[in-house]
Amino acid sequence: MNKKNALVLIGSPKGLETSTSARLARAVLAPFDDQGWTVDWIHLHRAVETAEGTTELVTKVSGADQVVFAAPLYVDSLPAPAIRGLERIAAARSERTGEEKVPRFAVLINCGFVESQQNDTAVGICRAFAEAAGLEWFGELTMGSAGNGPKRFHRALAEAGSALSSGFPIPPSARKLTRRPAMPKLLYVIGGNVMWRRIAKKRFGVTKQEILAQPCKEA
Amino acid sequence: MSKKTACVLNGSLRGGTPADRAASATVKLLEDRGFGAVVHTLRDLDIAPCLGCFACWVKTPGVCIIDDAGRDVARSMIRSDLVAYVTPVTFGGYSSELKKAVDRKIPLILPYFTFVGNEVHHIRRYPSAPCLLGVGVLETPNVRWEEIFKTLVQRNAINFHSPDAEACFVRGDEDEDRGRIAAAIGEVTQA
Repeated sequence: MNKKNALVLIGSPKGLETSTSARLARAVLAPFDDQGWTVDWIHLHRAVETAEGTTELVTKVSGADQVVFAAPLYVDSLPAPAIRGLERIAAARSERTGEEKVPRFAVLINCGFVESQQNDTAVGICRAFAEAAGLEWFGELTMGSAGNGPKRFHRALAEAGSALSSGFPIPPSARKLTRRPAMPKLLYVIGGNVMWRRIAKKRFGVTKQEILAQPCKEA
Repeated sequence: MSKKTACVLNGSLRGGTPADRAASATVKLLEDRGFGAVVHTLRDLDIAPCLGCFACWVKTPGVCIIDDAGRDVARSMIRSDLVAYVTPVTFGGYSSELKKAVDRKIPLILPYFTFVGNEVHHIRRYPSAPCLLGVGVLETPNVRWEEIFKTLVQRNAINFHSPDAEACFVRGDEDEDRGRIAAAIGEVTQA
C-alpha cells in the first residue's frame, strides 16, 4: 500500500526550527508517523525566493494528500511571502484538468493578541485560497497569545492531529478549545506591557521613554 | 493652511494591469480633491519581508532594522492624511506586493497593548494616523472575497488607529471605476 503524503507549509519568517507556527504544526503532526504517513516540510519564505523552490512547492502541494499550513497573523492577514506562495500555488493549479487528486488543506493560525478571533480574517483568506486552488477545506485552529495557552490548547492540537491523520477534518470540538482567551484580557494587557518594557531594557538597554520615540514625526 | 497629502500604494503584480490603471485613477481623483499625492509602485521597490523580530519596538523604537525602501514607505504613510491601498483582490486579501509594504508598518505603532472596544490592540505611536482607503480590483464580482476585503480594510484601520476607512471595488470599466473610487474617497475624507 502506498504511504500517504502530508506536506507542512510554514508561513513564518522564523522558519522550520524556531517559529511558533512550526511548533504548533509539530504538535498536530505528531500522530502522523504512527499512522504511516510520510511528512514533508516547506518554509514558504525560502521557497518563493527561487524558481526552483516555487516549482517544488507547487509540485509537492499537488502531490500531497494532506496539506497543513501554519502561519502567524501579520496585520490581520498572512505574512507577505506566505501570500506569494499561495498566489503561486493557485496560479499553477488553475491549469488543473480536474482529474488529479484533490489535496486536503488545513490551517493553523496564531496571533500575538489574546483573542483567537483576531485570526478570522486570515482564515477567510486561507479558505478562499483553498477554493481558488481546488483544495478541499479541512478546517482550522486559531490561537491567540502566540499559541501559548493552558492544557486545552494542547488538547486542541492533539485532537486536530488525530482527526487529520485519520482522514477527517479538524473537528469543531478542537476549534472550540482554542477560541476562549488563554487568560483574562486585562491580565494579558498588563502582563504584555510589562514584558515589552523588560525586553527592551534588559536586552537592548532601551528605556521606557525611548520606546515611545517618534522618528517619523515631521520637524 | 498646508495641503492635504495622500500616499497611494500600488500593489499590482505587473505593469499595465487593471490595478495599475486603478492606482493612476486614484492619484488623479485625490489630486482633484486637493491632495498632494505620492504613489509607491511596490513591485519596483526593494522591500524585504518583515522578519517578525520586533526590533522596531524594543531595540530601535519606531524604525525597522532593515534599511530599505520599506522604511521610506512607512514614513510616507504616517506623514499622510490618507493612505490608499490599491491591489488585485487576492483570495479576499491584499496582493503579496502590497502586503510586503503593509507588514513593514509595524514600527508605526507601539508594542504596548490597550483596549479598542472590547478587543486588545496596540497603542498608537504618533498623535494622528491617516484615513485608509482600500481599492480592490476584482473583475468578476465575488461576494465572499468582497466581504473579506472590506473586513480586512476595517480591521487594519482599527489596528493603526485610522479615523476612518472605506473599501471599494473596481471591475475594469474605467468610467464606472472612477465613479466608485471617487465615491469612496468622498466617504473617507468626510472624517
